[in-house]
Amino acid sequence: MANEVSKPKRRFNILSIFRRKERVSADAGERNNWKAWLYLAPTIILMAVFTFYPLINTIVIAFLKNYDYISQVHEGFTMENFGVVLGLVGRSEMMNADGIYESIFRWNCTRFESDGVVGIYLNSEGVVSRAYFTMNVIRYAFPNTLLITFITVPLSIIIALLISIGLNSIPAFKKFFQTIFFIPYVTNAIAVGMVFAVLFDYKGILNYLLGLGTLTWIDQAAPAWRGMIALCVYIIWHSLPFKILIFLSGLQNIDKQYYDAAKIDCAGKMKTMLNVTVPLLSPQILYIMITSFIGSFKEYTSVVGLFGQQGTSPGSYNMYTVVYYIYDMVNSNVQYGAAAAVLLFLVIMLFTAIQFKVSKTRVHY
Amino acid sequence: MEIRIKNLTKVFPGNPKKGIPDTRAVDDLNILVPDGELVGLLGPSGCGKSTTLYMIAGLLEPSDGEIWFGDEDVTDLEPEKRGIGLVFQNYALYPHMTVYKNVAFPLTNLRIQEPVLDENGNPVLDVDGNPEIKKRKLTKDEIDKIVRETSKIVQIEQYLERKPNQLSGGQQQRVAIARALVKKPKVLLLDEPLSNLDARLRLQTREEIRHIQQSTGITTVFVTHDQEEAMSISDKIVVMKLGVKQQEGVPQDVYNNPCNKFVANFLGTPPINLFAGRIQGGKVYIGEDCVREITPEEMEQAKAEGRNLSDQDVTVGIRPEGIVIDDNAKPNFHFKVDRILTMGRDIMLMSDQEFRLSDTKFVIDAFTKVSVGEVQAQVKPHKCLVFSLEEGEPRLV
Repeated sequence: MANEVSKPKRRFNILSIFRRKERVSADAGERNNWKAWLYLAPTIILMAVFTFYPLINTIVIAFLKNYDYISQVHEGFTMENFGVVLGLVGRSEMMNADGIYESIFRWNCTRFESDGVVGIYLNSEGVVSRAYFTMNVIRYAFPNTLLITFITVPLSIIIALLISIGLNSIPAFKKFFQTIFFIPYVTNAIAVGMVFAVLFDYKGILNYLLGLGTLTWIDQAAPAWRGMIALCVYIIWHSLPFKILIFLSGLQNIDKQYYDAAKIDCAGKMKTMLNVTVPLLSPQILYIMITSFIGSFKEYTSVVGLFGQQGTSPGSYNMYTVVYYIYDMVNSNVQYGAAAAVLLFLVIMLFTAIQFKVSKTRVHY
Repeated sequence: MEIRIKNLTKVFPGNPKKGIPDTRAVDDLNILVPDGELVGLLGPSGCGKSTTLYMIAGLLEPSDGEIWFGDEDVTDLEPEKRGIGLVFQNYALYPHMTVYKNVAFPLTNLRIQEPVLDENGNPVLDVDGNPEIKKRKLTKDEIDKIVRETSKIVQIEQYLERKPNQLSGGQQQRVAIARALVKKPKVLLLDEPLSNLDARLRLQTREEIRHIQQSTGITTVFVTHDQEEAMSISDKIVVMKLGVKQQEGVPQDVYNNPCNKFVANFLGTPPINLFAGRIQGGKVYIGEDCVREITPEEMEQAKAEGRNLSDQDVTVGIRPEGIVIDDNAKPNFHFKVDRILTMGRDIMLMSDQEFRLSDTKFVIDAFTKVSVGEVQAQVKPHKCLVFSLEEGEPRLV
């Protein structure tokens, strides 16, 4: 036994994740290691089943050709799904010598409005081909999503900031107003959507109050821009409470002495807000910016809640969003939905990276 | 500019429902800060000195009383219109701005008044024949020039591009002073400016503050709980206790002639030694030792001021430097030395004197021969102060 040199075992120690410097002796770490795993087990198992597996599976499915979700059958790996999602290719089928339709891909055009067979052709050689159109994100979903993001994110942040600063500076009824402004957060999105649908109805309260007659907003084939206004108003209203909550807690952490200093330095109210409040609130603003960017790229329930369908009239897709597209595809062509999800992930990552980069010089921790 | 504080009072309302009484943080305060002088507001924490300073700054609204800057009543004036510089206790430098921007910030808010000139450089007159005045912001170059000049005075030129959290406490403090001075205020207010610095830096910085104050000739009010700090750099000190002014005067005067036991006890390190004593036939005794005689002049003065020097029990205060050990002179005070602390220039004697009311510490010249045990000493009469037993009563002798 004496000549047997025991090799130091190197095991992955989960606790090392939680401490920056390994000051705790290795013994103590080893002893508690299994306990740490045990405590984490429920979360790890649930996350593995419901988060990590679906996440990886989605990426895999995005590359499968003609994948059938029920039978789990596919025809190998392909990039075509991304082409379909981006509207670069469409599916056609050609009758082969045995009279069976075979699937081929070719350049697609985006002029079609809905899924399905758009034409049956007989070419000079007597071969029958059927052209399919599969909805893509280029015509409606992606532009709408971008539009929603770039309208609602800045507007809601500015409005939330102003409301929080206002709330923070009123001594009376502060708690009361905080509660009022927090109500949308705990209200069901669909229910609120229905209320907004009543407000924006062409015979609704809004038109009545503003004296606009029977101007259409969300139904009766209203123009896309009016639908978008209604949608953005709804999204902003619904996203305010969380932002106000974060901003208020941030504002309450700003030392009152900075405001005294600003007063002594003769800075006006506006200047104090821009030069003291906003920079000192910048960590919260960055956090809100990134989360609400991600949130508005995922906009879906608001559309369902407000319009109940993809557009301002049945069969219209003018209020379509990327996530709406993904959910639509889950039933029929899950691989397109998966491809769209992967693309959305990349877009969100790109925007988040840009925000982090830009914020580096502007956020003061 | 002269600052006059008249009957200034600040009451923080309590909550009668919860039985919390009102707090009179400052009570009927009268102070005169002469033009160009440095006045130290001194007192233990909670004595209302910072409250007073914030009322002078305009950040707190007085409950009663008036504040005058020269001939102008500023009691109800906004802080930004008072033309003051304020250095906060923890500096309150804007953490997101560089030192340069911190110092330049007050200037970017400044509007200067300038006569309108015509092409020939003559002032344009308005209808009434007065020169027309226009307000304008400072230009970038003007701001730059002033910022650099001010940074030179407080010696922060090499840190201008840094953020406050990259500076040491002393450097931050100088930045805070620069920010307060940059718009050339009429009044400079300092709220415990040295409390966040270490001992050595504190000594150095208080000299710097004094130097800056004298070179700029700016009227300065300085708040501190450190009596040594206040005494060393102030032209005048105001000692406060629980919102009430106790004494006001030149530091050495206040030290030599404290008006009551509180002031005597508060000023001086180590603090004054207090003993249980008595007045008997115009003499002051501690135990059997007659430490001091009351002179006929003192008797007369006391009579004129209504102080009672008849036979009574009193508290006797002897300053630490108030004894001499001289074998040739007749001793009038004896005590037992327990420990001797050598401090280089001086030696300190610690004693458990039987009539003591506080720690007994005496500081004597280092050349004096003394050893642990019974010591016979002479009390310097002017270092021996006599107080009534009642708290807050004026000093008897």
